[in-house]
Amino acid sequence: MTGVISGGGQWGFVAAAYVLTAVLTGAVLLHSWRAMAKAERRSDALRKDRK
Amino acid sequence: MHAYANPTRFLAIARPLTPWLLGVGLLLLLIGAWAGLTQVPGDYKQGETARILYVHVPSAWLGMGGWTALAITGLVQLVWRHPLAGIAARAVAVPGMLFTALCLATGSIWGKPTWGTWWEWDGRMTSMLVLLFLYAGFIALTSGDEGQRQGGSLSRGAAIYALVGAINIPIINRSVVWWNSLHQGPSITLGGSSIDNALLWPLGLTLLGFSFLFGAIVLMRMRRIIADNRVAARLRRLADDEGI
Repeated sequence: MTGVISGGGQWGFVAAAYVLTAVLTGAVLLHSWRAMAKAERRSDALRKDRK
Repeated sequence: MHAYANPTRFLAIARPLTPWLLGVGLLLLLIGAWAGLTQVPGDYKQGETARILYVHVPSAWLGMGGWTALAITGLVQLVWRHPLAGIAARAVAVPGMLFTALCLATGSIWGKPTWGTWWEWDGRMTSMLVLLFLYAGFIALTSGDEGQRQGGSLSRGAAIYALVGAINIPIINRSVVWWNSLHQGPSITLGGSSIDNALLWPLGLTLLGFSFLFGAIVLMRMRRIIADNRVAARLRRLADDEGI
């Protein structure tokens, strides 16, 4: 089939798929963690101020 | 189920559960990826590119599973008006869209060396692209709407949108059976798997690992929304107390 790649040339595609998955998943994970920690710190600080 | 709709009870479970899901998920994912890249042989037909399976299949599973969860929370919001249902739906949308995008991207990367093309407008790929657009529509619909200002619940329109969008899930699942496709037929069904066990076992690890990470991301996003709601409620009370 035209354009089919075999042998050692395939590893570049495998690496691209794994790196893309790691980078995007890591970015969403990190963003979610930081946003949660910031929001909970604000909420806790406000609760302590009320006491 | 009603007992855990209370945000305080929910947080008592979510706070200790989040780091566990995160830690176990990362560990399973690292072991699964290491095994998939180094411990299993290449496929006899597709060669090394078959190793993309270990990130592509979990992405597809979570993209579709995410929308299924969104439809269920939409239904729970409409019928029981659980305060957590809307918060859960909002929290699922971004990771659901992420894994749908990853499924399309890794599928495209897999397609180029295997089929000789990055993209084909066939049933499986097109219906998955529709799912990505559905997520984008849901996020746009629920960003800054009235429900977000009222404790995170979904508007009636957003809940119905989540339910109607679920029609795409069985279409994605059956697309390779209903239409001619470059994409292979179903490899794993309730009846068994057509993938040899020598290649299959790391998939279980990455599926579980990604699922745990997805759960951790959803819990973190739910905790952020609940904390933001509490801040907003306290600021409103303070303003009322001071007669502003």
